[in-house]
Amino acid sequence: MSDELHKRILENGMVLLGEPMKGVQSAAFGFLLPAGASVLPEGCCGGANVILDWMFRGAGERDSRALSDALDGLGVHRLSSVSSSHLSLGSALEASHLSEVLDLYADIILRANFEDKEFEPSRQLAVDQVKSLDDDPRRNVMLKLREQFYPRPLGNSTIGQLDELETLTAKRVKQLAAEHLNLGETIFSVAGKYDFDSVSKQLEALFETEDGKESKQVSIGDKGQHYTHIHNDGAQVHIGLMTETVVPQDEDYYNARAAISILAGGMSARLFTEVREKRGLCYAIGAKYHCLKEAAGVMCYAGTTPDKAQQTLDVVKEEFNKLKEGISEQEVQRARAGLKSVLILQSESSSSRAVSIAGDYYMLGRVRSLDEIKQKVEETTVDSVQDFLRRNEFKDFTVVTIGPQEVAV
Amino acid sequence: MRFKVKESFTAMEFKKKQLENGLTIIGELNEGAKSAAVGFFVKTGSRDESNDINGVSHFLEHMLFKGTDTLSALEVNKAFDRTGAQFNAFTSEENTVYYAAVLPEYLHEVTQLWIELLRPALRDDDFNIEKNVIKEEISMYQDLPGFDVMDRCRKLYFDTHPCGMSVLGTVESIDGLTAGQMRDYFGNRYAPNNMVLAVAGNFDWEAMCALAEEDCGGWSAQKTQRAISHYDGSRKKKRVEKPNLVREHICLISPAVSAQDERRYAANLTAAIVGDDIGSRFFWELVDKAIAETASLEFSPMDGTGAFYSYIRCSSEKLPQVLEIVDGIFKDAAEKGVSAEELEKARNKALSSLVIKSEVPMGRLVGLGFNWMYCQEYRSVEDDVEAIRKVSIEDVNSLMKEFRLADYTQLVLGPQRED
Repeated sequence: MSDELHKRILENGMVLLGEPMKGVQSAAFGFLLPAGASVLPEGCCGGANVILDWMFRGAGERDSRALSDALDGLGVHRLSSVSSSHLSLGSALEASHLSEVLDLYADIILRANFEDKEFEPSRQLAVDQVKSLDDDPRRNVMLKLREQFYPRPLGNSTIGQLDELETLTAKRVKQLAAEHLNLGETIFSVAGKYDFDSVSKQLEALFETEDGKESKQVSIGDKGQHYTHIHNDGAQVHIGLMTETVVPQDEDYYNARAAISILAGGMSARLFTEVREKRGLCYAIGAKYHCLKEAAGVMCYAGTTPDKAQQTLDVVKEEFNKLKEGISEQEVQRARAGLKSVLILQSESSSSRAVSIAGDYYMLGRVRSLDEIKQKVEETTVDSVQDFLRRNEFKDFTVVTIGPQEVAV
Repeated sequence: MRFKVKESFTAMEFKKKQLENGLTIIGELNEGAKSAAVGFFVKTGSRDESNDINGVSHFLEHMLFKGTDTLSALEVNKAFDRTGAQFNAFTSEENTVYYAAVLPEYLHEVTQLWIELLRPALRDDDFNIEKNVIKEEISMYQDLPGFDVMDRCRKLYFDTHPCGMSVLGTVESIDGLTAGQMRDYFGNRYAPNNMVLAVAGNFDWEAMCALAEEDCGGWSAQKTQRAISHYDGSRKKKRVEKPNLVREHICLISPAVSAQDERRYAANLTAAIVGDDIGSRFFWELVDKAIAETASLEFSPMDGTGAFYSYIRCSSEKLPQVLEIVDGIFKDAAEKGVSAEELEKARNKALSSLVIKSEVPMGRLVGLGFNWMYCQEYRSVEDDVEAIRKVSIEDVNSLMKEFRLADYTQLVLGPQRED
């Protein structure tokens, strides 16, 4: 990671960010468009996935096939996804084609054809994705967990809701796209090998033709249930558990990250040691920090056979509770080493950097330098983490299980 | 389109050394990298097992993390985590790989740790607790039908050929396995002449060699062998039903060239033309039209044999239509061949993928290690770029005539049918 950051804000409000990297031949870029699963109006859950698929079925002068051929011809690796807040479109590619690919993405974002005949397959694929979740309990449990943990509509499924997808029409989805693909709240980021002057001139010419729109406000409701069980006669009980913690804007953010690392950062961390190594209860056991701009949590997953499900949940909760009783210097040292190492290893990948800088800007309104993050991580101590844990006890767990058997929470 | 091979790729320097006991050390130096990646590649996997010890290679991989005569499991995990290394291991039908990506200042420490672990204690107590973990892993994959269908279809395809042995084993085979059997297997397979130490990125070659010589020099060579033969597949067709499933999971496997075969580059591009996630024939005929939700075809090269694997997911209602379309795609590909434009698109995607992956030492390590395991040769990024560039339409078309995708073994895993 270089500490150099390129930034420019277009007149319509669109933010352009760039981080040059030495010694790479690739470039990766992404557009964060404010059309994520929690932002779309009620009754349209899954609409973002339909928009995303439909956008690629022809744009500008090109029909679906010609657009796909043009992207493939340039060796583009498409990176598209839907999060709670954003619909994100981007790609990783050999840097010399960046300009041509940006032209194509401008077509996709500004001039998608949204032909009626292409709508039904887009909608059907989104419906199929939701149906397939029933065959993927591990993924499903985490989606359901987010739905229950975050206040509505922040945890809305990024895949969608079947009943809502089934009622979506081409007209409605076109309207959603028109209202939510708002350049005024779009963040563009690029990392790797690129020339910022020419990228920003090109994007200015491509995107400043359209004004920003009024921003959509989401009204935040209640949280879901503390415990939800979904019956499935599979081999395991899939346990998802989440508890609240601080958001990235909080001054305790790094203490929280260190605490979560002590709990689940590596193979010497407490969850892995207690649940898997000492008791052999699970193969898959882990927890990680998960955040939205408005709220954050520690998200834990454990998968185990029915006869061990209750004990697994009990041990997991006990380890969360025990953190406040004390942590060691060695644990904090390992947490710091892990957090710093991940940062540097990811800094070698242009895709990771493009995603990170855009994420920082969205969350914090600025991009943190490597040095700043390193320093903040290094500043965490036994005292600071313990103090944080005393003030921010991990409690009020939201639990979701999918499997042949319920647990007592 | 011409991809340029960047200067730092061409500046990568290859090094090789073999110790007297047969341990091969290979390295690809890239001084500009911010990290280094190290891996021990052991030539052993489920194909080297017999039925009564099925699953032992993978179980053994878990047991290495349980420590040595002087290190407990917790001490091992702490030692790794102290360095911030991203480390893990994986077992396939024919390889077991232990790897770590680290900051250069920790490479020595992490490599030394792997070396220690490669002479594990294999304690009975650890073995008994880990047995539970292995059985949980087997259960976990049973709940991943996309994985389950591939595993079952591989067994159906390879039939009695050793490559059909399950990596995980079964609950029964794991229950029956003893620590003594595992120790015997370890003694035969984890010999220095049956493994490669590979390092990529920013590191000191001389220091690595000195470490290996000092710490691995005392390991004894063994006579190890593997039965190698090509296999064309059973061509059986089978349906397996599970009442908790709602979708149809389809796996098709057909024969392909081996990891040693020069035509592997053509096979890779063939797979991309027919079944890449986006822009392939599968994509346009099945996914774009929303007949299947996902459809992909991959080339899987192995030691002395190889296979094309397709995975398709759809509704029960669409299953017959999907299979008919796939048959049409396979027949068409063999009879009419591919177009220049299709090949060019697949080539560009492969080149771009190679370039992006190679920018990170961990991305280089796997290719570096496997090239040596299978071919005993070093291939630079440039060599691979050239090999991909050279693939012609004739190469792809003749490959598809010789290895007909239509000659597949089929396994469908789906919900219970009402009839």
